[in-house]
Amino acid sequence: MINDKNSRKIADIIQDFSRKHSLFMLAYGTGCGAIEIPPTTTSRYDAERFGIRGMATPRQADVLLITGYLATKTLKRVIRAYEQMQDPKYVIGFGSCTINGGMYWDSYNTVKILSDYIPVDVYINGCMPRPEAVITGFIELQNLIKEGKANGAEQYKENLEWYRENQRKVIKNWKMPDYNW
Amino acid sequence: MTDKILEKEQQLVQLLEQTFKNCTGKVVRERRVSVSVEKELIPSVLSYAKSQLGYIHLSHMSCVDWIEKNKFEIIYILWSPADKVQLFVKTMVNRENAEIDNIDMIWKQANTYEREIREMYGIQFNGLVGAQEFILEDWEDMPPMRRDFDTIEFVDDNFTFRKGREDAGNVREEIIKRSGEEIPDFAKKYSRD
Repeated sequence: MINDKNSRKIADIIQDFSRKHSLFMLAYGTGCGAIEIPPTTTSRYDAERFGIRGMATPRQADVLLITGYLATKTLKRVIRAYEQMQDPKYVIGFGSCTINGGMYWDSYNTVKILSDYIPVDVYINGCMPRPEAVITGFIELQNLIKEGKANGAEQYKENLEWYRENQRKVIKNWKMPDYNW
Repeated sequence: MTDKILEKEQQLVQLLEQTFKNCTGKVVRERRVSVSVEKELIPSVLSYAKSQLGYIHLSHMSCVDWIEKNKFEIIYILWSPADKVQLFVKTMVNRENAEIDNIDMIWKQANTYEREIREMYGIQFNGLVGAQEFILEDWEDMPPMRRDFDTIEFVDDNFTFRKGREDAGNVREEIIKRSGEEIPDFAKKYSRD
């Protein structure tokens, strides 16, 4: 039991406990849902009692929030920000535009399925989700971390070619650095 | 009673019709006047309105695609804070090789509106200075706001949807079944089927 690789060791349990209770989200509002972030973090629907607060740069943040529709112009910048974040990192998709295109399903400029381009851990549905729903989404992420299933970052590293192929189909002028993990 | 209230607007229409040739005007309602001119006269009409008549504010500039008449219509919306009347100046431009003069020197904000129209409709403004790319990045197809650009075909070619949600299909039919009303023909094109 101690040498079984798949069992949760005591070190993993302590590590995940401390990670899930201090999630720093990157202060980057990519779409219209960013208007639900200030109510969530201010005093009425307090998110800081869960340990969630904003952080300035990608290198210091844990969670990337994709709040709403993602135009192809923004996708290029979001990929750079995501690749600069350090492990462990998680992605949360807000709203119905990340799930299946949402209100902009027939637009020539937005991306329809988000998890073809970036690995997503939790989706929160709504247009836009209320602050209570946002906090429920974070608690869902906390439960996934506790069970050890929030593996978006490792999926990205293993299937990098597949993600890159999807990204290049949509982004024509590919001037991005090659990251070497 | 109503004649007295619309005096300012009717005076404006008469003045513009007498000063410029082939200019037809109409009083739409109180505080709104609409005037149609030819495209060669646009810089003169706009600078006359700005300097002599007190229409010193350009509120907006927009474009309508009349594909049946094979023309674009460009609309300038002016506002006079002294008289508090809104003036619409409209022109028609040919759809092939569309071009019109740049009015950047009269109002500086026209630069932004003209760059947006140039990118979204493909109309060339003579003498407009500004980077080619404005809102869209690396766009190689035809200008997307024209009516012969088919967005649904473009989306089907370049993007995919999630499987298993085909039952989400046509919301309009569901609404019709429940309420019993007819959808008009022009709306049928935008259903998901």
